[in-house]
Amino acid sequence: MLINFDNAATTYPKPNSVKAAVSRAIGQFGGNAGRGGHELAMRTSEAVFEARETAASFFGAQPENTVFTLNCTHALNLAIQGVMADGGHLIISHLEHNSSARPAVRMALDGKIKLSIAEVSEDDDETVENFRSLICSDTKAIVCTAASNVTGQILPIRRIAELCSKRGICFIVDGAQACGIIRLKLSDGINILCTAGHKGLYGITGTGLLISDGKFPIRPIIQGGTGSASSSLKQPDFLPDSLESGTMNVIGAISVKEGIDFINRIGMDRIRSHEERICRRFIKELSSDKRIKIYRSPYCSYVPIVSFCIDGYLPEQVSEYLSKNGYCLRAGYHCAALAHAQLGTENGTVRFAPSVFSRESDAVALANKIKNISATEKSSKNY
Amino acid sequence: MKPCIAAMPSYTYVMKGEKLLRARGISCEIKRNEKIAENGCGYSLYISGSCEYAEKILKNYSIPVTITPYGGV
Repeated sequence: MLINFDNAATTYPKPNSVKAAVSRAIGQFGGNAGRGGHELAMRTSEAVFEARETAASFFGAQPENTVFTLNCTHALNLAIQGVMADGGHLIISHLEHNSSARPAVRMALDGKIKLSIAEVSEDDDETVENFRSLICSDTKAIVCTAASNVTGQILPIRRIAELCSKRGICFIVDGAQACGIIRLKLSDGINILCTAGHKGLYGITGTGLLISDGKFPIRPIIQGGTGSASSSLKQPDFLPDSLESGTMNVIGAISVKEGIDFINRIGMDRIRSHEERICRRFIKELSSDKRIKIYRSPYCSYVPIVSFCIDGYLPEQVSEYLSKNGYCLRAGYHCAALAHAQLGTENGTVRFAPSVFSRESDAVALANKIKNISATEKSSKNY
Repeated sequence: MKPCIAAMPSYTYVMKGEKLLRARGISCEIKRNEKIAENGCGYSLYISGSCEYAEKILKNYSIPVTITPYGGV
């Protein structure tokens, strides 16, 4: 039996209600949403609209400003490249996932934008000051993750939002590790919220969301059929159509709706509290082994993610060993190149990420297995 | 009260408009006709109630709408 603690990559298992909705969607919603007036297309379009309404309501947005994407990377690319299309200065944090960092760096290398990277500190005041000090008259947008996908550190989103709103700067937030765990709303001062549908929202893979407050235009990077203004060769300039070219992932959108309904039924606070309790227990169990370094600071808040390394072992070796014993944990850089320089984790880390379905007893058993690697290593390099 | 057609730029607006109007007791139905309005999405709301009132509601919710009387296209 596999025990998944790699839920920061994608949650597994999915709720039964999501599985049932996906099965129902395959059977009933086989039309092409927003195209055609026949019964199947209309029924499918209505289902997609309901999904859009649910997602919009969850994040305090309007349904027409809620865009379904393929994943969070897709949403961030649309947002960053779309908002920065005419150039300007962009600031990102050093904890950004490559899904933000790479499009930003590419645009900078191509000479299209100026890019600055703000260091995130253990001290929120210092972090906010680091962002503030980089703002210049040309700053058009700030991109910041709500929580690091490597350590889980929560960033002072509302305070950075204040910096942006006072100066008319577009604030783009990567909510991939926070949504479904932390209450994030556009009213927090976020202009564009990007997130995955398949992580904390419990939808299926191939789903994401871009949620805008409509204040900053986003120039489409993909153009094509939208089902609207079809006689025009120009891409529609209104959301969600402008950013939703091509046949959408109807089943995925329905799965995200069902995932959000699942979260609403259980309660986000209960989910977070459950996962945090498992993380605390996991850390407690590991802390007796001095060869294990856990990348957490008492001065920071975290989403339920624990990154660690074992002295003398490569993270990938640890992950491989655990996989052979039935535990799924991700090792390496977690697609966040900038974060590891500050952490001093040149080989990356092993990441533990529970979900609402995780059990404390499994986390304890896992911790024992990890400590056993450490002990085994003392006598032999060959586990 | 003459019936009318409300054309909107996207299906999402049409769906939102339908919900808003029905919640206020205005009878309407979504139909597809790509030629209804140049900038329409191909879907429109066929409204049987007060078109003036319906237009006001839709505009209050910032829904871009073009109202055409039945038979006007």
